[in-house]
Amino acid sequence: MKHSEFAEAYRNRHKLAEGWKRSGKKVFGHFCNFTPEEIIYAAGIIPVRIRGGSENIELADAHLPSICCSYMRSALEQALKGRYNYLDGAVFPKSCDMTRALYSIWKRNIKLSYYWNLPIPGKSTDAAVDFYIGELRLFQESLEKYTGKKISDDSLRQAIKLYNQNRALVRELYNLSLRDNPPLPGSEIFEVLRAGLVMPKEEHNAMLRKLLPALSTVKGSQDGKVRLMIAGNTFETVELLQAIEESGANIVVDDVDIGSRYYFASVNENEEPLRALAERYLRKVLCPCKHNAQHRVYHILKLAKDYRVQGVILLTQKYCDTHLYDRPWLEGKLKEEGLPVLVVDHSDIGWAGGKFKTMVQAFIEMVG
Amino acid sequence: METKQEKPAVPFKPPRLAASAALGTLNEIYYRDLANAKQQGRPVVWITSMTPIELVYAFDGIPFFPENYAALCSSRKVAEDLCKAGEARGYSQDLCAYALCTFGVMFEKRGALGDEGPPAPDILLATEGACMTHPKWWEAMQRHYKCPMIIIDAAYTVDSDTLSPRHREYYASELKEAVRLMEKYTNKKLGAAKLHEVVINSDQASALWDEIDDMRAAAPTPISQIDVFTCLFPLVTLKGTKEAVEFYKQLRDEVKMRVDNKVGFVPDEKFRLIWDMFPIYHNMRLLNYFAEFGAAFVTDLYGNAFSGRLNADDPYGSLADRYLSFFMRAASCGKAELYKKRIKKYHVDGIVFHSNRCCRCFTAEQPDIGCILRDELGLPSLMFEGNMVDPRGYNDAQVRAKIESFMEMLEARKYPKK
Repeated sequence: MKHSEFAEAYRNRHKLAEGWKRSGKKVFGHFCNFTPEEIIYAAGIIPVRIRGGSENIELADAHLPSICCSYMRSALEQALKGRYNYLDGAVFPKSCDMTRALYSIWKRNIKLSYYWNLPIPGKSTDAAVDFYIGELRLFQESLEKYTGKKISDDSLRQAIKLYNQNRALVRELYNLSLRDNPPLPGSEIFEVLRAGLVMPKEEHNAMLRKLLPALSTVKGSQDGKVRLMIAGNTFETVELLQAIEESGANIVVDDVDIGSRYYFASVNENEEPLRALAERYLRKVLCPCKHNAQHRVYHILKLAKDYRVQGVILLTQKYCDTHLYDRPWLEGKLKEEGLPVLVVDHSDIGWAGGKFKTMVQAFIEMVG
Repeated sequence: METKQEKPAVPFKPPRLAASAALGTLNEIYYRDLANAKQQGRPVVWITSMTPIELVYAFDGIPFFPENYAALCSSRKVAEDLCKAGEARGYSQDLCAYALCTFGVMFEKRGALGDEGPPAPDILLATEGACMTHPKWWEAMQRHYKCPMIIIDAAYTVDSDTLSPRHREYYASELKEAVRLMEKYTNKKLGAAKLHEVVINSDQASALWDEIDDMRAAAPTPISQIDVFTCLFPLVTLKGTKEAVEFYKQLRDEVKMRVDNKVGFVPDEKFRLIWDMFPIYHNMRLLNYFAEFGAAFVTDLYGNAFSGRLNADDPYGSLADRYLSFFMRAASCGKAELYKKRIKKYHVDGIVFHSNRCCRCFTAEQPDIGCILRDELGLPSLMFEGNMVDPRGYNDAQVRAKIESFMEMLEARKYPKK
């Protein structure tokens, strides 16, 4: 098993999903890591993360102004071009103002048989958790109505267990980057992680179980490279990680929504399932769209220390308001710790590799 | 052959409202009270729109609205410099210009009138009821001022028909928690009688605003969109006070007199339009440009966002109902439904979307709303880009040219040459 098999699975994700459909499975798309996928999975439906791309926008501009983030614009573009025709439904957690707006835009323009907008509290207090449990219950009931089948506590527990196994396996992968010479460069780890967003967890787990033992003895090619961390929201352009590697550095850890922020926190298996899910999804390290900025900032500082990071790239999807409000403060905190910081406004659409590489080279030279 | 509109050589000047004088006085008194708040022992509470301002008055505090203040900075032509000052501290130019301008005021201690700006907050009170930007912006200010901050969580669905008693209960519990914290930070107890009085005042101001809003349906429409935006100040900042109620009584009477006497704000009203969302504070006169073509704005949703009826016998429940049913957070389909009703009631010929480059929350849905209204009602629309506060990047000549061709199209549509 090689990382390239994960990359291939990701590349073929639409074909794979069409295959599951032919075998009678239902597939739901969803946005961002606030989606409690375990409940969808327990309903017998395969949840896949809706992703964008870097191609030019032709159709989505008629529905969405260009001041919206490139993720949402290109995700809508993909859907309008029919690439997500296999979806049975879509779930929009109300995480940021964009997912709120896109819910109704999708609903009107992309015909699917199921849509759900999941309200998410902005806080993580006890009252917020109690409220959120109620919302999860409503979501569960609507899925039961959709499939015509009850979701038992048992199947929820099984889904939680499966997802937790996936998280534990990914943790092992991250742990490999604690080594001085990690066996896989950041760009390849990213491919492994990204595949997990779009395939059933049991399949991702099976692939990880083959990959991990093979890596335990591998000597990497990252020796002596500058150890960097990447923190921000989401991105699709794997080339930017390759550009970093070509410039003499390696991403050893991240705080991005398709990386550690998605995979790290697990669900308490000894708790009543919906409560355990509510607590996990409200109390893990959250995207800045919720109101506990300190939690995330101190988590990033700790990751930087644990992974012996020498510098941090703050990669923000352009027009992502909630990240942009926290960024000056986060930058200051990192610098207080003596960590050099490179601030990058990123857009997958029309990504300028040359410009990025020049910036990164100068930064790495400064750090190293 | 191309038909050109005939336009008067002199820019249109609308008739002035007598209530404007009273508005000026209210403004003066408010800013004087704000400046003296600390001496008088009144807490200065910085709030976002859709924060229940009633709580602030119930605690005898003075609310300060950075959004309103940024609008003032913009109309006084100092917003660009203040926004740049915010950028110099690492805040992106893409952020809400209300916020960016406020960061400039905060870091530079520089106000709209060449002064030091507003007094620092004793309490920062926010909610994400209007947009997600608010709490993030407030968090950033809290890191600067290091004063107590209260966030009222407003978790609700976008489909308003799925708003349930649980959403109300959670919101009401958030309000009670906010009261508990306000009592702690101000060292004052909230008096039930005072809250009762404030809620009654707030409700009355809203009721009067709604009456005025209804009267805009008259033909010709009695007041201009600039009047509407300007006269919002008491509803935004003084809601809950007796003074706001008195002002809106005066305004209501004046508007009613105009309607009774068929006095329009545009002398020969030919077109009736909707203005979608934010004013352009650095260029309010643009609104009058439409009048040069005989067009009047007859309704909007923005102004009505600040009005909402309350029940003094159930202050928390009715505040929850009012702030959770805030229609601007509705899905684009929901907003289009609201517009559809207004298009009928106000006899609307077209809609103008100001695509506000710094506000994703309320511009993201505009194209879709335009499509719905076009497909279902055949309503023509115009969309142009601007920024509510920061004049950078705004091209007035281009916007006016767009307006001109839109008006020509409306003319040909509504008054076809035989």
